[in-house]
Order: sequence, then C-alpha cells, then structure tokens
Amino acid sequence: MIELTLQTLSFLAAALLVIIGMAGMLYLDNLIKKLIAFTLLSDGVNLALVSLGYVQGGIVPILEPGASLSDFPNEAALIFGPGIVLTNIVIGVSTTAILAALIVILYKRYGTLKASKVLKGEHE
Amino acid sequence: MIDAFMTVAYLMVIGVTIGAVAALLQKDLLRAAYISGAESIALAFLFHALLAPDLGLTQAIVGTVLMPGIIILAILKTRRHEESD
Amino acid sequence: MNETITNLWSIPLLIVIPILTAIVVNLLYNRGRAIRAVSIASAAVLLVISLVSPYGFQWFTGQPGVTYDGTYTFNANVFSWKLSLEYYYGPLQQIMISVMSFLLLFVVAISTKSLKKNFGPYIALMFLTYLSAAAIMMVNDFYHLWIAVEIGSLLVAGLVAASGGGAAQKAALKYTFFSALSGSGLAIALALILGITGYANITDAINSLKINDLSGMYNVLYVSFAFLMLSWIYAGGLAPIHPLKSDVYRSAYPHATVMLQTQSKLTLVAIGLVLLRMFGTLPFAREAMLSISILTMVIGIVMALIQTDFRWILAYLIVSHSGLVTVGISLGTFRGIVGGLFQAVNDVIYMSLLLVCCEMVLYFGRGTSIKFSGGLAKRAPLLTVFVILGTLAASGVPPFNGFQSELILIQAALEQGLPEVAAVILMVSVSTFIALFRAIYSIFLRPGDELQQGSERFKLPGTTLIFLVALVAITLVLGIYPQLALNFLTESALKVVFVPWVP
Repeated sequence: MIELTLQTLSFLAAALLVIIGMAGMLYLDNLIKKLIAFTLLSDGVNLALVSLGYVQGGIVPILEPGASLSDFPNEAALIFGPGIVLTNIVIGVSTTAILAALIVILYKRYGTLKASKVLKGEHE
Repeated sequence: MIDAFMTVAYLMVIGVTIGAVAALLQKDLLRAAYISGAESIALAFLFHALLAPDLGLTQAIVGTVLMPGIIILAILKTRRHEESD
Repeated sequence: MNETITNLWSIPLLIVIPILTAIVVNLLYNRGRAIRAVSIASAAVLLVISLVSPYGFQWFTGQPGVTYDGTYTFNANVFSWKLSLEYYYGPLQQIMISVMSFLLLFVVAISTKSLKKNFGPYIALMFLTYLSAAAIMMVNDFYHLWIAVEIGSLLVAGLVAASGGGAAQKAALKYTFFSALSGSGLAIALALILGITGYANITDAINSLKINDLSGMYNVLYVSFAFLMLSWIYAGGLAPIHPLKSDVYRSAYPHATVMLQTQSKLTLVAIGLVLLRMFGTLPFAREAMLSISILTMVIGIVMALIQTDFRWILAYLIVSHSGLVTVGISLGTFRGIVGGLFQAVNDVIYMSLLLVCCEMVLYFGRGTSIKFSGGLAKRAPLLTVFVILGTLAASGVPPFNGFQSELILIQAALEQGLPEVAAVILMVSVSTFIALFRAIYSIFLRPGDELQQGSERFKLPGTTLIFLVALVAITLVLGIYPQLALNFLTESALKVVFVPWVP
C-alpha cells in the first residue's frame, strides 16, 4: 500500500489533470474548450514537475542568513523541476496566445467555433 | 498550525481536480474560463505547499489573470455560448 | 580542427545573432531595402561562423570542473541534481548548420525580393526557425531540447499562418494544437528522465542509466521513451501525424517550406540520435522506431502518387523522404547511421532545388495543378532543365547525391539481414521518380493550350538562378565525391554506436 503523502497525492492530481487535458483536447468539439483543456494539461505537467522536487519535511530552497550550510543540500527541496516549470508557464502563455489569435482569425473567416466544421479538410 | 496548512493543501489537491472537470463541463465558455482561473488559484497554493513559493506567485498571476484574460478576449471576439448542434 | 575544452565563442553567436536579427528586422517597419540588407548580411555572417568555428562545448551553468592536468570531469557535485546545460558543436553539427545557413541566405534573398508588403515579421520568423533548428542540433541536455522543440513548433505555425489563406491558417491551428500536446508530452518525458536518473544532461543521464540498477523501473523508462518518440514523430512529421505536416508544407510559400523542411529534417536527426543514445539498448525500442519509419516511407510515397498538385506531391515526398532519414538512424548500426545522416543532408538540398522550381512556376503565374497546365518547357527551358535535374537527384540516379546515400542505406539494411527494408527503400526511390515525373510532364513538357500562350520567354530572376546553379553544383559534387560529406559524419556515427554518452 502506497502511503498517501502530499507528494503522491499531487502526483495523482497531476496525472488526472494530464489525462483530463489530453482527453479534452482530443475529444471536445469547441475550439475555446480545447484551449482551456490545453491550459489544464500544462497545469498538470507543471504540478508533476514541482512535486518531483518536493522533500518530505524539507525547507524552501532559499539560503537564509545564519542557516547551516551543511544541512542545506539534504533538507532543501530540489530546484531543477521548478526551474523547468517557470519555462513551461511562459511557453504555456505564448502557446495560448497564438492559439487564441488563430481561433479568432478562423472564427471571422468561417463564423463558427466547432472544430469539426472549422478544421474540415478542403483539398480534393 | 502545520496540520491546518497541510489540510488545506490536501483540500487544494481535490479542488484542482474538481475544478478541471467542472471547467470542461460548462456550456457557458466565459464561466469555463473563470473556473479555470479558480483552478489556477488552487494550483498556486499547492505549489506553495510543495516548497516552491516563487512558482506559486508566478502561477497566481499568470494562471488567474493572464491565461483567463487571453481566453476571455478570444471569447469576446467570437461567441459566448457553445453551439448546440 | 581541434576540440577546445573552454567555452566556445561560436555557439552563443549562432544563437544570439538570429535573435538580434529578428528583433532588428521587426523594428524596421516598411523599409524593404534595409530589411533585405540586414537579413542578408546576418545570414552571411551565420554561414561564415558555422564554417570557421572550431569544435567544442558551451556550458551555460554547472560547468564541469577542470582538473589539474588540464582534462575536465563531469563530476561537479553541487547539489544532488546537477545543472549541466550543455551545447556541443562538432563535425555533424557543422555540416548540418552550414547547409542550413546556406539555404537561409538564399531563402532570405529570394523572399525579400518577391514579397511586396511589410515582410519584417515574416523574415524574423524565418530567422527564429533557423535558431530553433540550430539549437536542437547542438543541445546535449533535455531541457534545452524541449525548449527548442517547443519554440520550433510555434514558429512553424507562425510561418505557415503568415503565408495567408484559410487553408494555411487551418493547418497552423491544427499544428499548434498538436504541438501543445506533444510539447507537454516532451515535458513529461523530461520529468520522468529527471526522476529516474537525476540529470537533465544527456551524457550524465546515460551514465546514470548504465551505473544504476533499473530493474524495477523499466515501465517508467518505456513511458518516457514513448513520450520522447511522440515528440520525434511530431516534430519530423512521421507516419501517424503526416497529414498535419504535409498540410503545413504545402500551405506555406515554397521558399518558406525550404526552411520548414530543413528544420524538420534536422530535428529528426537530432532527436533520433538522442533516442538511439539514450534508449538504444532498451528491448523493442529500435524496432518501434524502425516500424514507424517504414510506415512513413510507404504512406508518404503512396499519398504522393495519388496527388494531382505539384505542391501536394512535394509535400508528401518530403514526408516520405523523412522516413528514409529515420530508417537509417533506427537501424542503429554504424553504416545505417552514416546513411541516415547523409540522406538528411542530401534530402535537404535536392528538395530545396525542387521547391524553388515550384516557387518559380507560381512566380510565372502558372498553376501547380496537374490537370490544368502545360507548355512551360517552351517558355522557360532553363527551369525545365533544373527541375529534371532535381527529379533525378531525388530519385537516386547515379551521378547525383541521392544515389550515394540510398546506396549506403540499402547496404546497411542488407547487412542487418533486413532485405525487406532495402526493398522498401528501392521502391521509394523508384516511386519518387514516377510521382515527380508525372507532375513535370504535365506542367512543363505537355503541350499547353495555345490560346493562353504568349510568345515571350519567362526569365529567371538573378538570385534564384544563382541559387539553383549552386544547389545543382552541390548535388553533383556530393554525388561524385561523397567522401566530402561523409568525413563529417563518420565520427558522429562512430560515437553514437560505440560511446553513446559522448555528445
């Protein structure tokens, strides 16, 4: 039996978010809904990366004056995952912006938000 | 004190998941955008609990203001309700 | 040239100059001449840098410690997770990036001449596409790999959407949605690899996989392999996702497609080598890669044969020839890898030749559809010669470069005891000839309707003529002296096979 610590729970939540986001992007028909599903997906990835770095009973990885240097590497949360998350947040925002712009342009052209109508292939 | 903090963190784990499902089940797109913003607040708190307070701050700003803002702008330029047929 | 241990000056320049050019070109609003001058100068500088640069590493953070006797060690234990974000510039990177810089130079020269409106942002997107492909080629850590792939896919969408038209915007939207999916997948793969090995650096990760006992973790390894392969398939437009990528290829302007296909070939090579280095010893990993490549080749060539438009035919041929590149890499032997890398170089060159010819057909005001055109051979005899030379190169006829790489690939497949793969490669090269010659016959050689025909000849623009002559010269030189390119590729292939942890 796996112990339900905060880390395992947030891993579970991250997995659920990723699955919900991917399913939403693949199966929902509305383009804006697909966009919202993408933000959920990227949230899920972020949560997975942050919970990778969590140390049970650890401290925030900021060196305060007077703290002991020898204990710091063992107690501090790992910082690489959160470092990636910062990039992922930025990438998420830019992808969202590009997608929103393309959705608005295509709405003006076709007058609908339904993916099945907008993204219909037109060759042949 | 610590226990209360952790209890809230556990609640936020549940809140994130429920918020994600609720956002995708809405017919009203504007409400879906708001709910995804609320889900981001829960996520920001969870980041704080997972020892990454800097990310919590970033997520609180980006996830609750910028991302829903972009989505709401797109909704205002297009239409608010999902087509039924 | 010697390998240097210290940080290399050329790698930051290769990254920074495209960014600076993109910013400057964006700011020069409505000044076509200035944009042309700046972009051509910067592309020429990039070409020179990629040609004269020495080989070596660039460390962004967490640099390896230099020991007393001048050698360097990767054991700089700062925290439990090291931050060695690392770029490497070697012979493979040199030939790939030089070819891409050469193409960028002429693509920029052609597009600044042919576009009428404000094209500053468009040229900026072109430079940033170059940047992403160069970065993917040079990285030796998963973090920068992921960022470069994400940036690259967003830029592809931007370039395609900038080409205008409803179909182009649709293609861009579809591509961006899928890029969001596969980018997140790549981030998950990065997270899992970090979780298993503790390193973002590919060298360190491979060493960690070798040293530590992973018997209980094979399922996690397979999941991360699957996500990495998803992004490989996506970035290169391999089989299950080929409709998206071929849509992208044919919706953009043909000169933009030159950059797009170069970027995707380079991405295929780079991520393919990473997959091979990291997961090459995993059971069934190479088999999965090989089957996807064969599927891509077959589907791409079949789709190319049934199209009725020159642009669609080229789009599907590019997809199908991506399969030729990956089949060599996924064979995993020395000869296979050399063949795959050489095929990537050749492919980029002769496909650019064909794409520029396609651009000229559009420029002369002729349609690219097979059904409603003809008689271009009389009006533009020089272009006809170029397009036929391109077709011969693409279909692997002996004096051209396509023959050499396909020969190596077939030998590699036979060496591995896979005559079926060799047969598929032969079939692809024969069918390429059929598909292309069908289009060329009906657009160029078939007598056109006499009513629409004027009497004057179409004249090729000067820049395009120089570009076409240079491309034909390269195909011929590489076809007659393949050793010129192979010298650059053998060392990298040897490293991948025998010492996979060295970049």
